Amino acid sequence: MADKQAYIVVDSDDALDGALAQMREAQAIFATYTQEQVDKIFYEAAMAANKARIPLAQMAVEETGMGIMEDKVIKNHFASEYIYNKYKDTKTCGVVDEDPAFGMTKVAEPLGVVAAVIPTTNPTSTAIFKCLLCLKTRNAIMISPHPRAKNCTAEAARIIAEAAVSAGAPAGVVGWIASPSLAATNGLMRSADIILATGGPGMVNAAYSSGTPALGVGPGNTPAIIDSTADIKLAVNSIIHSKTFDNGMICASEQSVTVLADIYDEVKAEFERRGCVFLYGDDLEKVKKTVIINGGVNAKIVGQSAHTIAHMAGVEVPEGTKILIGEVSDVSPAEEMAHEKLSPVLGMYKAETFEEALAKAERLVADGGYGHTSSLYVNVNEREKISAHAAAMKTSRVLINTPSSQGGIGDIYNFALTPSLTLGCGSWGGNSFSGNIDVHQLLNTKSVAERRENMLWVRTPEKVYFKKGCMPVALRELGAVYGKKRAFIVTDQFLFKSGFTKKIEESLDAQGIAHSSFWNVAPDPTLQSAEEGLTQLRAFEPDCIIAIGGGSAMDCGKIMWAMYESPEEKFADMAMDFMDIRKRVYDFPKMGKKAFFVAIPTSSGTGSEVTPFSIITDATTGVKYPITDYELMPNMAIVDTDNMMTQPKGLTSASGVDVLTHCLEAYVSVMSSDFTDSWALRGMKNVFDYLPRAYDNPNDVEARDHMANASCLGGLAFANAFLGVNHSMAHKLGAYHHIPHGWANAVLLQRVMRYNSSERPVKMGTFPQYDHPKTLARYAECGRYCGCEGKTDEEVFENFLKKIAELFDHVGVKHTIAEYGVDEKYFLDTLDEMSLNAFNDQCTGANPRYPLVSEIRELYLDAYYGRPASSYDA
Amino acid sequence: MKLSDSKTELARRHNKVVYQDGNRVVKVFNDQKPASDVFNEALNTARIMGTDIKVSEVLEVSRIEGGEWNGSWAIANSYIPGRTLRDIASEVSYPDKNNPDLDKLQEFTEKMVDLQISVQNVKAPLLNRQKDKLARMVNSVKAIDPSTRYDLELRVDGLHNIGAVCHGDFVPSNIIVADDGELYICDWAHVTSGDPVVDAAQTYLLLKLRHPIWAESYLELYTRKADVAKQKIHYWVPVVAAAELARGRKRDEDFLMAQVNAGDFQ
Repeated sequence: MADKQAYIVVDSDDALDGALAQMREAQAIFATYTQEQVDKIFYEAAMAANKARIPLAQMAVEETGMGIMEDKVIKNHFASEYIYNKYKDTKTCGVVDEDPAFGMTKVAEPLGVVAAVIPTTNPTSTAIFKCLLCLKTRNAIMISPHPRAKNCTAEAARIIAEAAVSAGAPAGVVGWIASPSLAATNGLMRSADIILATGGPGMVNAAYSSGTPALGVGPGNTPAIIDSTADIKLAVNSIIHSKTFDNGMICASEQSVTVLADIYDEVKAEFERRGCVFLYGDDLEKVKKTVIINGGVNAKIVGQSAHTIAHMAGVEVPEGTKILIGEVSDVSPAEEMAHEKLSPVLGMYKAETFEEALAKAERLVADGGYGHTSSLYVNVNEREKISAHAAAMKTSRVLINTPSSQGGIGDIYNFALTPSLTLGCGSWGGNSFSGNIDVHQLLNTKSVAERRENMLWVRTPEKVYFKKGCMPVALRELGAVYGKKRAFIVTDQFLFKSGFTKKIEESLDAQGIAHSSFWNVAPDPTLQSAEEGLTQLRAFEPDCIIAIGGGSAMDCGKIMWAMYESPEEKFADMAMDFMDIRKRVYDFPKMGKKAFFVAIPTSSGTGSEVTPFSIITDATTGVKYPITDYELMPNMAIVDTDNMMTQPKGLTSASGVDVLTHCLEAYVSVMSSDFTDSWALRGMKNVFDYLPRAYDNPNDVEARDHMANASCLGGLAFANAFLGVNHSMAHKLGAYHHIPHGWANAVLLQRVMRYNSSERPVKMGTFPQYDHPKTLARYAECGRYCGCEGKTDEEVFENFLKKIAELFDHVGVKHTIAEYGVDEKYFLDTLDEMSLNAFNDQCTGANPRYPLVSEIRELYLDAYYGRPASSYDA
Repeated sequence: MKLSDSKTELARRHNKVVYQDGNRVVKVFNDQKPASDVFNEALNTARIMGTDIKVSEVLEVSRIEGGEWNGSWAIANSYIPGRTLRDIASEVSYPDKNNPDLDKLQEFTEKMVDLQISVQNVKAPLLNRQKDKLARMVNSVKAIDPSTRYDLELRVDGLHNIGAVCHGDFVPSNIIVADDGELYICDWAHVTSGDPVVDAAQTYLLLKLRHPIWAESYLELYTRKADVAKQKIHYWVPVVAAAELARGRKRDEDFLMAQVNAGDFQ
């Protein structure tokens, strides 16, 4: 083998390994080529193959004794021109796609050495096709020709190799096995990086058994159907055109035609008129036995003319006979005409109905053509028939009104079907790919994905009104601005009886807005009380809902609102947990089609007037549904201190420390942002500055005012940054041991803060912007903002914890879970289940430290017994 | 071993003569038969003796001492008193070859198929591999053009080893119906461990060649009883035909060559 030779020839089985090593060296150089270099090589190689199309076709016919020279010219032409045209502008080298905004770069790389198995039926065109695909993708190609066609296949490869090397390709990226043997083919398939196996079931099976990734295709048994509505001239002549193409050697070629009974005679007459010969009796039997031997196609008739085949069978037909047709009825393999015949011999069936025709075609596909191609001739307006046919055919190509030989290879009768001489048959045909093979199957594409942060957001009610005495002013908008006519008030018994709704009703009356009230909201709102209110609500048909009260009335109001707007939605669906609210499986229904929602808080705690959350309990099962969606955000929030002046001490304390927890958790959440930080900081500072005053003196208007704002600020912060594991645990303490929510948070808070502040957490939260454990520094920022000092973050953090402890002592928060009267045995009995449920709470996801269930359990135990807090460092 | 004077000749082939000698059957091979083949046949029989299959047991492998065969390799097997299935069947169902009683023949075919399937249900992993043997034989037939051989070898290459006992020459003349009615199988020279479908293709081909009136009913019965599609058996006919050609029997050549038709077309 001379060094300067453009190609590599493997002249003995023993030479294969050396040849492949040499080819790998050449390919390594080729892999460094630019798109410009590759495109030049691709162009020159395609040109050279195209120029040689006639001599190559002549060689193929001469060597194999099969097919028609003029048709092979078309195949060679197709393989060079159509393939070049298809991929001339396709990027196949290096960066092929770039999206800086999303941080995505796609890089195409070659696979290495492609083992190309070339069939006898298309020995030059398939070689041209595979060589061009490999050159375009910077792969090397080692061809295993079929021994029956080795010279013409090698000649096609030689022409391309020489053109490629003259255009600058490294010598040795194209090669072939000169005397193909099974040992050499198997050896090649084992060593290559991928196999492109075009051949029969034996070869495809060998390819897939080799252990090398393979793209294999297999035999077809294309059934054509001519429907009653078809254009008969078009149908019959298309089939003749396809079936006679290269003497029927294209694997997509029609093997049988099923004709509907009402047009059968007409179809038959057209076939006869165009030079096809119908065989009967002994003649038909003789031809059958000649075409199919031992259940397989007789190798001697493949690609022969109709006349030659008839002659071999001892049947005389006119020399120019186009197709030999046998009218048969059996679609099983016992019938020779039901087989793939790879020659101008066609089976013809009659079907009484379209369904019968489909059933026949289905069976024919199943017995020899799974995954390949099927065709239907039909009036294009018969969409139902076209879909029924497509649904019934287990074939990768379903061709409509198209000659299947020329149609299946693409880009001749349909310009969206990829031009290809290697047609995938999908898993039905035992292949790994069902499309027409193209350059993409010969590339490894790297996705270079750069780190990006999620888009974040600020979502608030359309209007948030605040300041002492703002409610009557704000309510006037319902009539004046929004033109509302019917308002429905949702509240609890206590507030209703204490006259809280009076002022609202007066305002509504003054505006001429009709109103009705539901005042039976339970303290932990239940689905049952919401449903009770809903009956009343639906009967009243309001265009505005006003929820006034603590968290319970507002949460219950939101649920009633959702059920009123979308009565068909299922509750359990709305409650489905999510990992990212934007990617949740459940699509929350659009709200506001029927009613406008106003929320008016009467305690300074939950912030529900500005949040997308609602928690509701099914009293029959005890299941708590946390419903979350920005659709649940009230349209208007009215934060009027006048509604908060009568809060009792306990409520002031519990809801006040809840506000602090909201602000702290939102601040250290993995989703926190500059926007939510500012709300959270001001909110927590207000709690330190004003909660003790409001607690000590309920009538301190200034303190109540700032606590009302603190609560709303906290709500705004956690409506957008969400909460953390402190709330997850507090939710379960409330559910299992009935500790009021705010205090349940407070009794855990300092311990959870220490846990979160770890610089070496076992696991941290997953969110792009949370890039390292930084919660200690975040807490220190809070501490400094609230007036704590220290030389280091640790010192500030310790002082901050002390400040929180002082606040809690001031407002009567107990120090341990035990002090809240929780029975030790019951606590320990429920601990494991409670820990797991706390872990699974919706709030856990935003926590900066991803908790282990065992850690949650330890935190609970520490808080129960009042053990010193720990950071649980890794 | 020594042959007695009372021996009677049972059969004569191009490389062996078979005698009955008292309660032994002795196969004497001429010098064309390599010693390794002789021992291989004895070893095969011995391996089958280790299973539930009823065989004529191998008793001795040695050179003949004295007489016309002095120095020739021979295998002695135990003699089973009885007649071959072929002899009984032909006597009963087609004394007149042109007018066979197909119903009666069917009964014998059924016996044969049942016996073959029961043999195939036995696993004998230590036997030679069917795939290796076929590949070797197909490759050695230079009378078949290399292109066709390539396609045949490709088929062999795709053969899975099921591990079943495949007699390899399962024909009525190798089945002995003992006087007590039990069925014994002889001539284990070609047995391999492999795929029953290939074994059935071999039987089908040999029947077509030697006892054509058995062939189609055999195929029908075998495919039904073994629950296997006819196409699967047909698929192997060209391969086993090529393998038969390797035996070099001139008189069968034309028939076998006509059966060798293979193409692995897309």
